[in-house]
Amino acid sequence: MNRKNFLGAVSAAVAIAAVVAACGEKTTRSTRWEFSRNMYDPIGYNPDQPNNNFKDGKTAQTPPTGTTPVGFERFAYVNTVQDYERAGAELTNPLEKTEKVMAEGAALYQVYCAVCHGAEGRGDGSITKDRELVTKSERRMLENFPPPPSYAASDSINSSRGGAMKDLTDGKIYHTITYGVNLMGSHASQLSPEERWKVVMYVRELQKK
Amino acid sequence: MRNISLVFERIARPVSLVLVLLFAVSALQAQDVKEGAKLFKANCSTCHKVFGKLTGPELAGVNERRDEAWLLKWIHNAPSVIASGDPIAKELDAQFPNSTMTAFPQFSEDQIKNILAYVKSEEDKKAAAGADGATGGGGTAGTASSDVNNFMIIGLIAVIVLAFVVILVLNKVIRTLERVITSNKDLIPQPVAQAPGKDYVAMLKRLAKNKKLVFFAVLMLIIFLGSAGWKTLWNVGVHEGYMPVQPIKFSHQLHAGVNQIDCQYCHGGAYKSKNASIPSANVCMNCHTGITASEKYDGELSPEIAKIYRALDYDPETMEYGPNTRPIEWVRIHNLPDFAYFNHSQHVVVAGVECQTCHGPVETMEEVYQYSQLTMKWCIDCHQNTEVNADNAYYEQLIAAHEKLKKGEKVTAALLGGLECGKCHY
Repeated sequence: MNRKNFLGAVSAAVAIAAVVAACGEKTTRSTRWEFSRNMYDPIGYNPDQPNNNFKDGKTAQTPPTGTTPVGFERFAYVNTVQDYERAGAELTNPLEKTEKVMAEGAALYQVYCAVCHGAEGRGDGSITKDRELVTKSERRMLENFPPPPSYAASDSINSSRGGAMKDLTDGKIYHTITYGVNLMGSHASQLSPEERWKVVMYVRELQKK
Repeated sequence: MRNISLVFERIARPVSLVLVLLFAVSALQAQDVKEGAKLFKANCSTCHKVFGKLTGPELAGVNERRDEAWLLKWIHNAPSVIASGDPIAKELDAQFPNSTMTAFPQFSEDQIKNILAYVKSEEDKKAAAGADGATGGGGTAGTASSDVNNFMIIGLIAVIVLAFVVILVLNKVIRTLERVITSNKDLIPQPVAQAPGKDYVAMLKRLAKNKKLVFFAVLMLIIFLGSAGWKTLWNVGVHEGYMPVQPIKFSHQLHAGVNQIDCQYCHGGAYKSKNASIPSANVCMNCHTGITASEKYDGELSPEIAKIYRALDYDPETMEYGPNTRPIEWVRIHNLPDFAYFNHSQHVVVAGVECQTCHGPVETMEEVYQYSQLTMKWCIDCHQNTEVNADNAYYEQLIAAHEKLKKGEKVTAALLGGLECGKCHY
């Protein structure tokens, strides 16, 4: 065994070790070895965690009926056509129209509305168009979401609750975001009242297109 | 023979004429239906389906249910028909108290007729498909599967026959060899009696005496075990690549990638709070009241979407929610130990970090796995390289304090936020 052999043996060992170390699945179904798991589990309850202290086993509880959480704004109109009309007549946007608020409204609109309503509110959002899903196991066209009516004045489309889409008032748009209408669901859980008014401001802008 | 061809010619002429005419008419109709389909998808599909109730009533059979003149009037301007006190309109209005049929004054009579023609054609298509399913469709499916069966059966028989032949040949060979052995017993040299294992033992003993070789073997073993152990120990508690089975086969590739739904749409909590928040099922229903992926499951509701309905106790037939809700128990993937404080909004809103920086290309993942290590080293590496964007109120205060220090003015604890409640009462 000379020096050359020695070096050869060492490099072979290192190579084997490196290959073994690099091997193995990229993803696993288990968390593998853990040390003191209890340090990872929270003592306090996370909102999405099961919780035996409540009857329904959930940590995230809805407030008892008749109570109002701190900082929660109640909307004085219910989900009926009459209250929709009433909100449309009585409510105006409480936010001051500034460039900053408008930009925030536009950003929120792009996230929460444009998927269906389209970047300019013409009812041509990404999920209303033809899309193809390609995965390892399948290749198929996805179902198109029915396109919502356009807000734009140039398209002159009517609302399902009467009047033209371009003439929807602040209160009507706010009511619709809060309760949803037809196929559109309520977005109240995703947008706070203030955020809803920001979106309303931007939608009013889109109506002029 | 000649007679037959003459007869055929006589029949063929009018038949072909009729066929041409029929084709022309059906092409015209096809054009109408195509136009109607386009209009239907753009204007009606928001509230109506041909089969099944949505916001508005099912449209199948509408051509039989109502007369055309009434339909034209109704689609043109439903609210005015209701106002005029029409009995059918009033009944419909009572059936759907929260919505009224939209007025479409922009449609011409022909356009409305095209839409109605489209509805009719869809009904015909379904009826034809139903009939096919009973007779023709079943037949073709049957032949296709029987083709497969025939091929498999022939293949299996061939394999069995081949196996028999091989067994027979081998048997013959064995018998001949046995005969040869018995007849030539004396000629074959007897093998030296020796245990087969002894050879190896002797060889190992010889090798064990070679000290250099033993040294290298031990060295290799140490390097191998050492590196494997090193890697294992470093990965204890590191969940990189962790991809648990989730209760619903939700594909981020489909929703965030193909559909281009923003991360924030469902995980808005990341912008507002410490937690990125798992969306509640009502967020799913913003789309899945309408989208049932039924085209993948032969017109049936997707079993995965059915799990959302079950969680919400939602009945897709009546479109109503029941009281027996139960949560969907998603399996948490990214879990920081409780001794480390991490705030999503601080990173996403203040620092402007992209979701993908830590979570990887989620929009391409069919199943989500943990992309980053989430170790302390991983945090520190990023914090050491990330430049701070000082363009906000917090730093304005610090800069003001520095200016004062430079001028030699008095800087109080209050100026640096020393009067904030949380500094003492946390």
